[in-house]
Amino acid sequence: MPYKTDAYSRRAERDDLDTVVAWMEEPDFQHFLYGDPAQSPRQVRERIVLMLGRGVGHTMPGGVHLLIDSPGMGPIGLVSLQNISWRNRSCSIDLYIGMKHLRNRTVTAIAVYRSLEYCFDELNLHRVGAYIYAFNTASWRIFEFAGARRELSLDKHVLRDGELHGVYGYGLLREEFDAVRRAKPRAAGFSLQEMIKTLAAEAPESGG
Amino acid sequence: MTPFEHTLIRTADPDDADFLLEVYSAGRPRAALLDPRREPVFPSRDELAEMLGSKDAGRNQFFAVEDRAGCVRGFCGLRGVSIEAVFCEVMVLLIHEADHAGPIGRETVQFLLDRAFGRMHLEKVLGTCLDSEPELRALLAGSGFASGGVQRQVLYSGGDWHDIETMTRPRVLPGQGE
Repeated sequence: MPYKTDAYSRRAERDDLDTVVAWMEEPDFQHFLYGDPAQSPRQVRERIVLMLGRGVGHTMPGGVHLLIDSPGMGPIGLVSLQNISWRNRSCSIDLYIGMKHLRNRTVTAIAVYRSLEYCFDELNLHRVGAYIYAFNTASWRIFEFAGARRELSLDKHVLRDGELHGVYGYGLLREEFDAVRRAKPRAAGFSLQEMIKTLAAEAPESGG
Repeated sequence: MTPFEHTLIRTADPDDADFLLEVYSAGRPRAALLDPRREPVFPSRDELAEMLGSKDAGRNQFFAVEDRAGCVRGFCGLRGVSIEAVFCEVMVLLIHEADHAGPIGRETVQFLLDRAFGRMHLEKVLGTCLDSEPELRALLAGSGFASGGVQRQVLYSGGDWHDIETMTRPRVLPGQGE
């Protein structure tokens, strides 16, 4: 039986601004993605307005930012497709789950999977890339599960909490995602925790 | 100006725009000239002159490489300096492919490494090259850079997909002391 969730992606509205600003100000957002804790709320807000203003409403947007929403739970997280190149048919993807208790739940894996479907099936892209910090094991395991390959490994590349950590560059080609879809027709009919355990058993690297 | 045995390396200025245009017009894409979306850009001579005359050019540390006869053989620079993580990216843009394998290439990379490690006290430098730039890859590999990986099919050009390789070099090479 395929996994079902009521979560869906949509464009952000003005009413979402406070939610997204609050997420981007969280230490976790800056830890796992980017941002400067010294930045004023006003600057963060202006940046988000700019980000969300460039939307899928344009014929060929340079970036697409979508909210993951749920009728039952409200806004769950944010998906950013950035550096979209229509010449190379590629983009990079960032995902942030604002609801912490959902981060290790299947909804995160589904959100990644559905975002990749959007990239390949709607935007007709050829390649999706992601830079993920080595300590963010759950994230890069989800991308590996979706068929992405670790193409780049840069040691001591990002500073967090006074320590330099590695960064992995992942790449997923359309044909590889299609192969995963053929091999796993039920898509995300699994438990994320079980998936992580299975992948960890297959590849014993800790990822730290 | 920094004189070497075969080259003289100096800050690039607007008068170098014609030579820089030659680099952009070489007929094949270069990793160092791709924009953040990995797309090639085709600036005009005027735009290049303006860029070379801007204050940003100084901040980005962009240099012209001359041979000892005073002819511009290419450009080089450091960009994307991360103060936090103490690394930056090196750019080597020699006009003639053959120069990469000779003293001009070696001295250009040596100049960049001296600047990055000696003057800026960085711990690591990165360099990128497309699969269509084997001579640049060989130059970086011969200067202590090791591959960090290859990102596949990032650029579509000339009717084909191209991979980009990221090379890294730590300040202190494995097996070497300070």
